[in-house]
Amino acid sequence: SLEDCPLDEDEDAFQGLGEEDEEIDQFNDDTFGSGAVDDDWQEAHERLAELEEKLPVTVNDKTGNGERDEMDLLGDHEENLAERLSKMVIENELEDPAIMTAVQTRPVLQPQPGSLNSSIWDGSEVLRRIRGPLLTQEMPRVSVLEYALPQRPPQGPEDERDLSERALPRRSTSPIIGSPPVRAVPIGTPPKQMAVPSFNQQILCPKPVHVRPPMPPRYPAPYGERMSPNQLCSVPNSSLLGHPFPPSVPPVLSPLQRAQLLGGAQLQPGRMSPSQFARVPGFVGSPLAAMNSKLLQGRVGQMLPPAPGFRAFFGAPPPATPPPQQHPPGPGPHLQNLRSQAPVFRPDTTHLHPQHRRLLHQRQQQNRNQHRNLNGAGDRGSHRSSHQDHLRKDPYANLMLQREKDWVSKIQMMQLQSTDPYLDDFYYQNYFEKLEKLSAAEEVQGDGPKKERTKLITPQVAKLEHAYKPVQFEGSLGKLTVSSVNNPRKMIDAVVTSRSEDDETKEKQVRDKRRKTLVIIENTYSLLLDVEDYERRYVLSLEEERPALMDERKHKICSMYDNLRGKLPGQERPSDDHFVQIMCIRKGKRMVARILPFLSTEQAADILMTTARNLPFLIKKDAQDEVLPCLLSPFSLLLYHLPSVTVTSLLQQLMNLPQSAAAPAPSNPHLTAVLQNKFGLSLLLVVLSRGEDLQSSDPAAESTQNNRTEVMFMATRELLRIPQAALAKPISIPTNLVSLFSRYVDRQKLNLLETKLQ
Amino acid sequence: LKMNYMPGTASLIEDIDKKHLVLLRDGRTLIGFLRSIDQFANLVLHQTVERIHVGKKYGDIPRGIFVVRGENVVLLGEIDLEKESDTPLQQVSIEEILEEQRVEQQTKLEAEKLKVQALKDRGLSIPRADTLDEY
Repeated sequence: SLEDCPLDEDEDAFQGLGEEDEEIDQFNDDTFGSGAVDDDWQEAHERLAELEEKLPVTVNDKTGNGERDEMDLLGDHEENLAERLSKMVIENELEDPAIMTAVQTRPVLQPQPGSLNSSIWDGSEVLRRIRGPLLTQEMPRVSVLEYALPQRPPQGPEDERDLSERALPRRSTSPIIGSPPVRAVPIGTPPKQMAVPSFNQQILCPKPVHVRPPMPPRYPAPYGERMSPNQLCSVPNSSLLGHPFPPSVPPVLSPLQRAQLLGGAQLQPGRMSPSQFARVPGFVGSPLAAMNSKLLQGRVGQMLPPAPGFRAFFGAPPPATPPPQQHPPGPGPHLQNLRSQAPVFRPDTTHLHPQHRRLLHQRQQQNRNQHRNLNGAGDRGSHRSSHQDHLRKDPYANLMLQREKDWVSKIQMMQLQSTDPYLDDFYYQNYFEKLEKLSAAEEVQGDGPKKERTKLITPQVAKLEHAYKPVQFEGSLGKLTVSSVNNPRKMIDAVVTSRSEDDETKEKQVRDKRRKTLVIIENTYSLLLDVEDYERRYVLSLEEERPALMDERKHKICSMYDNLRGKLPGQERPSDDHFVQIMCIRKGKRMVARILPFLSTEQAADILMTTARNLPFLIKKDAQDEVLPCLLSPFSLLLYHLPSVTVTSLLQQLMNLPQSAAAPAPSNPHLTAVLQNKFGLSLLLVVLSRGEDLQSSDPAAESTQNNRTEVMFMATRELLRIPQAALAKPISIPTNLVSLFSRYVDRQKLNLLETKLQ
Repeated sequence: LKMNYMPGTASLIEDIDKKHLVLLRDGRTLIGFLRSIDQFANLVLHQTVERIHVGKKYGDIPRGIFVVRGENVVLLGEIDLEKESDTPLQQVSIEEILEEQRVEQQTKLEAEKLKVQALKDRGLSIPRADTLDEY
């Protein structure tokens, strides 16, 4: 292990090594540099393990120097190391807590040659340089260590052990990979001052366009203290649980709009917790104040030290934190302490969908209620408090600092960024949209309290178009042919050969035909998905784009219809074959059901007619899938738009009845098949019902009526004739059938029919 | 209270400082307080105990602090401290459980041998599961 290296003795050797190969040594800082420790981790461990016996040790630079025997083995001065370190920092955005971003006012302790100097991490010189190449803003002159200094009023009984005064255990840090932040304060120290929340919120948004929602408010600042998130969530009125969106948030914004709005935000930074406003009613402000706050906090993060609770920055002593139960009526008191010109902050637009948040709230309520019930009325919250007790008494709690948690969260949040949430996280988006619509619909009906009508503003990263440029060496001729993800190389030269018709056997032809149908279904399905998406795109688009969108949509709908019917020029009416083939495949049937709402009435009627015409065949093919009933709903909807003539002819098609009123054939296999099938019977009943509606609503139309009457009569007769056992069970029975049949049959037969259809 | 921070994702942050049961890929069961995590779901477990189950008996081997590499975790879950003792299982000493485990392994091995032999007799062979692990 690192600790076992006898560093002292080998200094010279390592120094030589270091001078040869600076680069590597940087990376091996853990082994050779300031991260390397000398036995101290054991002491630190023991210290941790025996907390009760700990004597307070004040922490400051000087003490740190004396206690820590870190040595920069290379013998280099701090400055060089810092420079090298600063070059190592790759990405500003990561804001690795391991990289101190605070500038100190304290003088840097000059490194004594050969001495072990842990102030590498604490020295202001070092820190300034680290940040130098990356950020040009000047840092406020505040010491990270000041944060750690005890400034609080006398502690309560729970703080008998003043953990802040433990010495910092030795920890190795890896600047590149990023280890948890090196703390000047010992591990386990609770944030002393008001915990300004997240680090995440501060750092997340360094650039205007680069929108990322901050973390949902975690600790409301007034709670400070050493409460675990669990406890906090149990606290009543915790702003954690409040809904962050006041009513006046605008509807869905396009990415461009969002970017514009954010780019325009130039408000003063302030270190308020958005959670403090979570429940402020009547909170009016620019709809983007939330994003602004996030943005600012992003900028703030660059200007201010990342350590949360960095009260010292403001130079004002911390105000008395309000008791946890009290909810600040307006922006919290700390806000007033800070920039007075801070504008009204809208609670941040969190990544968490408002509906989701509501659900969580409900769940928490339920849990709390359950616990209450469990413990009895007189024992309210004892469960909670016992849990809190447990946590309070756990001396090892909060070993993982808030900053560290934020750091991990930030990484996870970064992974959730997306340029197109509808593409990346379709189901989540749709699910919560549906929920919202449901609740909105309920609201309209019910008289419940008006829930906040909010829209989710999802984080969107600006899409960057990368043009792939192949690698080139200077001075060489031509380009390297390197195959990569962005530039895939053709591995196999596959040539498509189409065989002539004669060569194929019958089976192959059938197979090919089926494959062609499958391909058509897939293509049409893609069109369908696009068409279904147009509504959403329409809302998000700009005015100028909309006509083009509509055109596209129409065009696609036409293509879909052509695909369904099989457009073959030179034919007056396309043959049914193409459509029937599609309808033989399960996916095709479901697709048709989805397409129908988009078609024009004529087109849809045509589809319906074709279906009716070929129904027995389709029924036979559907025996395994049993998916035809999915078509009933769109067909029923369509029927209510169809004129009487169409309905009559449709009925005729369905029953395959002769056009004239000649005596029916003794057996009608078409009709029988229809009646014996669930879908067929249901469709027939719906058509009959529609006919009945038309008849009752428009008795004046004579010519059609005669025809219709006859058809109805024949239908009724057939229904009577067929034995009940053979009848399928319809999906739904239209209500006006009784009146329909009563026209044509007497009471006895009417009863018979009714029972048959039950 | 899961998913407080992040919608539609799972995060271990709320699990910190709580007692967890962790199942590892090598079949071990660890129980300990989750103290720290990172972006790879590497875990730091405190006051860890390795629990060996054989039949209705189990034995705990205290292990101290564990650092588990995230990729080796199959699953983990919070232990309800109140319900923890409510179990039909019987705790036994470490020696006993190790012995029980040894016996169990042995029985399994023998059964497996018989099976392989029977298959061999019929001209069949099944590749061993551990060699398939990578695929």
